Amino acid sequence: MNLKILTITAMTCVLSMSCENEQYINKSGNLVPKTVEEDPNLPSVVVNGTVLHAEAHGNSVNPMVVFLHGGPGSDYRNGLNAKQLAESGYYVVFYDQRGTGLSKRHPKESYSIQLYLDDLAAVIQYYRTSANQKVFLFGHSWGAMLTAAYINAYPDRIDGAIFAEAGGFNKQLLDEYGETSRRLKLLAETTSDVFYYDQFLTGREKDHEILDYKMALASSFSYAKGNEEGVETASPFWRNGAVVLRAFVDISENDGFDFTTNLNQYATQTLFLYGENNKSYGLKFAQKEAAFFSNTEIVQIDDTGHEMIHSKWNLVYPVVVDYLNKLN
Amino acid sequence: MKTRLILITLLYLFGMHSTHAQTMNWKTLGESKHIVNVGFGWDHSLSYNVGYVYQIKSKLPLILNANFSIPSGDNLVDDFKTKIGGQLVVLNNEKLKGSVSLHGIFRRYENPLVRLVNFGSEMKGVFGYYKTNYFVAGEFGFDKAIVTHFKHSELFKDNVYAEVTDGWYQPSTGGNFNYGIQTGYSFSRYDLTLNIGKVVTQDFKTTPLIPFYFMLGFNYKLK
Repeated sequence: MNLKILTITAMTCVLSMSCENEQYINKSGNLVPKTVEEDPNLPSVVVNGTVLHAEAHGNSVNPMVVFLHGGPGSDYRNGLNAKQLAESGYYVVFYDQRGTGLSKRHPKESYSIQLYLDDLAAVIQYYRTSANQKVFLFGHSWGAMLTAAYINAYPDRIDGAIFAEAGGFNKQLLDEYGETSRRLKLLAETTSDVFYYDQFLTGREKDHEILDYKMALASSFSYAKGNEEGVETASPFWRNGAVVLRAFVDISENDGFDFTTNLNQYATQTLFLYGENNKSYGLKFAQKEAAFFSNTEIVQIDDTGHEMIHSKWNLVYPVVVDYLNKLN
Repeated sequence: MKTRLILITLLYLFGMHSTHAQTMNWKTLGESKHIVNVGFGWDHSLSYNVGYVYQIKSKLPLILNANFSIPSGDNLVDDFKTKIGGQLVVLNNEKLKGSVSLHGIFRRYENPLVRLVNFGSEMKGVFGYYKTNYFVAGEFGFDKAIVTHFKHSELFKDNVYAEVTDGWYQPSTGGNFNYGIQTGYSFSRYDLTLNIGKVVTQDFKTTPLIPFYFMLGFNYKLK
């Protein structure tokens, strides 16, 4: 009987202790940072019916370089090294895409590729100081796919583009890249790390705080030991956008996509970067993507993988500056 | 009766409700007092489990059981789930039987970014057809995360969110419904069992990344 009393007492203590400091998992600021909607101190722009977390560096009359982060559903924190381009005479613009990073969240049904292109056009318009100011796009991973989508839709608007390991300019290439880069090993610790918490962390489709937090926990998969993309270590981010990721996965699966149909009309030279250690990408995949353009340069960044902008910026920077200066 | 009341009281204090409870062939349980079991399957990860069952003497079949499971991986003790509770046969016809189970859960999860400790509960109902050498039944359960403790690593604070708030989080951090079938083949003092089904989150609209479960089990009646 003593054991029973002890058990009841212990459980009561656990439950009562847990009641002392009630904390809500779905409250911004607890497990994930607040967005621009909740924190007015964050730098932001109001464009195209949304509020985007954004910042710009350098002289606003200089040629503009818009950095497009990866994902969908990541943010620009791991690309902030590109701020250094401001020292080389460029006006560098960063923004968290709609529904991710510290930008405003929207319902899943509202997202589309065209909406993302409209947001990009609106950001360029917001920061552009003159009609003859040159505009370059610098895209990383999904951001490089978005760069291709923008050029494909508007081949005459952009003065140059840098593609750092785009995940696939069409559905076929995306699947090809995904098959090798995101392969799960059933018995591996990384697999448990991604799935196991699903049993006690769940959120509805509008519970952005919970879903974004869960996605953050899954990020450890990307830099696990032996990962195919050659990612050396954790790269920083503020907050993922889980709902926008699901929206674009659904769009890709249900509708497919092809950002390549007009790329051959783009005569300006483009720059393709790939990390030496990314086993899923490499020169062959870079060549496949570059082949959609008529004038390209492909450069290997040594001793790094998919997160080259964060991990080996000292090697990326001179290549990017040389390319931009040639077109400037 | 007193034993059953104590069990129900304990389960209530745990705030319990249940899902992957011990899968039994109630027809062959007989007078067996001690049963051990092992199993593996997909339970939010490829998992392995061991368990112990103790049958209490009562008018209707009533068992207490404890279960420990770990998912695959290099670090065997960073993630685990323990369950303790009981199952009661509430419908005990010759071949048609229905049972309810209630379990308290204690589970731990750790990756390079966070360590989570959770107290939860499971409730499950099973109804099916039982014979001495096989059984097949439908099951429906609910796994509720009652309170969860979060402890984030320096890696998380450095690379994601420096102001993250550690500590106990409640109200509940989540819950999943499970539904499927369970079946088994019984011979001598052994049962080979299989549970298979689907998982949906408590809003009935979303699912876990892998929305299925299956569990292969092996029971051995010691005496």
